[in-house]
Amino acid sequence: MVAQLQHEQDIPIDPIQGVHVESLAIEPGQIAGLSGMPGSGLTRVGFSLLAPYASSGHVAYLDVRGWANPAAAWEMGISPERLVVVRTDDVVSWSRIVATLMSGMKGVYAEIPTGVSDVVLRKLAAKARTTRTPLVLRPLDGAVPSGVAHLRLDARTITWEGVEAGHGQLTRRRALLDASGKSTRGMQRTIEVEDDGTNDLRVVPGLVAEETRRFA
Amino acid sequence: MRRRAAEAVCPTVVTIIQDPTAEMARFEPLIDMMEVLVPRVEVIQPGLMLIPTTGAVSYYGGEGSLVERVDKELRPFGTDHRIGLGMGPFAAQQSARLTTDERPIHIVEDDARFLADMDVAALDSDDLAATFRWLGITTLGAIAELPRDAVISRFGKQGLRAHDVALGLDRRVDPRVILDDPTVVSRFDPPINDLEEAAFVARNMAQRLISSLSSHGVAPHRVVVTAEAADGTTRSRIWRSSDPFNDRTLAERIRWQLRAWIDGVSAGIRGGLVTLILEPADLSGSGRQMVLEEDAKSFEETQRALMEVQAIAGMDNLLVARPQGGRDPAQQVLWERWGDEPSQPKHDPGAPWPGGIPSPAPALVPPEAVRFEVSFVDGIPEQVRLRSRWVPVLSWAGPWRSVGRWWDGETAADRYQIVTSAGAYLCEVREGATYLLGVYD
Repeated sequence: MVAQLQHEQDIPIDPIQGVHVESLAIEPGQIAGLSGMPGSGLTRVGFSLLAPYASSGHVAYLDVRGWANPAAAWEMGISPERLVVVRTDDVVSWSRIVATLMSGMKGVYAEIPTGVSDVVLRKLAAKARTTRTPLVLRPLDGAVPSGVAHLRLDARTITWEGVEAGHGQLTRRRALLDASGKSTRGMQRTIEVEDDGTNDLRVVPGLVAEETRRFA
Repeated sequence: MRRRAAEAVCPTVVTIIQDPTAEMARFEPLIDMMEVLVPRVEVIQPGLMLIPTTGAVSYYGGEGSLVERVDKELRPFGTDHRIGLGMGPFAAQQSARLTTDERPIHIVEDDARFLADMDVAALDSDDLAATFRWLGITTLGAIAELPRDAVISRFGKQGLRAHDVALGLDRRVDPRVILDDPTVVSRFDPPINDLEEAAFVARNMAQRLISSLSSHGVAPHRVVVTAEAADGTTRSRIWRSSDPFNDRTLAERIRWQLRAWIDGVSAGIRGGLVTLILEPADLSGSGRQMVLEEDAKSFEETQRALMEVQAIAGMDNLLVARPQGGRDPAQQVLWERWGDEPSQPKHDPGAPWPGGIPSPAPALVPPEAVRFEVSFVDGIPEQVRLRSRWVPVLSWAGPWRSVGRWWDGETAADRYQIVTSAGAYLCEVREGATYLLGVYD
């Protein structure tokens, strides 16, 4: 199966013995930074990180683009009653809103508008740790600065199954993500996740543990 | 048997005179304790109460868990309590009667089946039971099989009630009476001109109102705040919340309102505030029964945070969404402002919606379709323009024809799911142009 994926993706995969990222999750107070173009599958990854917290309270989505589709969150296990969407593209009030949401919500997914400084993000990271609120940050441009995110996920490739030359429909996707940060003990790893839109996102076992430093 | 007759039979008998008042006084602590566990119990008589379990079952995680919790809380009052659980009050009482000292809990799975073999004496009417026996009807199951019209014509209202309980169709629990008029009124002499002073009074009033209602297991979803000025003018405002107010959230709303009236540009309270009235409405029937993991404190914090965000981002920018029917991803979501009354879906979510875009749903949906550059060769999508570069199409599904409401001027469109190395997109082609409907992110 590794060979098959190598062939399909043309990506060298070199598993390291004994190192496995078994699941994709963040603890209360931890921050996940997601970087990648729209279409790389990171919105659903963000929802899957927060879905466990929606069972005990509300989670918020700070929608800077105004493009949020809550149906995707519902499919990832966040019930409609537990999801609140805040729409704002105002850089000035953005940090206040995120800080306020963290004081009362069980989890926050925030798109970062262009122009938010690293200092502001570090303050919010401190606030997240204080309030023990899991925070998922998705910059619209660039990446979350180093040291802020406990888990950094950079989209590398995504493949979809189910469609071919006009036939079928999108059914299942597989995304390769570069994971780094404290949660990976400072090493960069590539993990593969898959979902079919109706289940929680799953980390593909056996393919998740490879080091990419040697060919980065 | 009368007392004298009893003493004649047994000279050493000890007679205990029933004192319902004293019994009720002893029973009251149990009722108070039970209303902490489950709001709005119905007291039948001293020693017997009915507890509505609809909300409590989900709160405590099931019937078994609820009954165990009730049993545990009752133990400090003695071990001679009995607990029966049924769909209706009658079945629950009969269930409790079947309990023993060894097994003080009895849960009925199916009321009608449970009652079917029960003797007609359970109806607590000697005359009715005797008549049924004379007719050869000895069990509640046999009563249930009788034609309803025949029972009504022969036994009247009493027979109808017997027929209902035999079928397991019982009345609902009728909880304690709520205050007729829980309105809180405060009058001020001299009139109040200072906002802080008025806010302090309002906080006390909010606490009084909420505590008086919470003792009956309810909380207001809507509160009418009315202020009367010294010059006789009256101003009123309705505050509403999708979740019941508590004393803090209500005090905050009143403070905001008073600030608008006292310090606002309209200077609406001339001569000072002489009367402040808080009138609750839309009382929640059973309070808000949260699930076990959702503690009340975090719920309050959530409400408070969302109110603050609403103040920062604006009323229209704090939204909740509900699923509804529709063919496009944008149609399938009903957006509402947080705190507003839930509205009826415009599109029936239960309808089949043929031609709807299948799941998974695109995670990003533009509020209005935006232009999307796709190059087609012989009707086949070849390339997609993403920012400044053209990306080849790896695979696609479609076209799916959408005719639309042509009588309303809607044009036909062809939908495509297009997969590139950068991601998958939902787009439509109409009138020669391609538009992006969603991004599978």
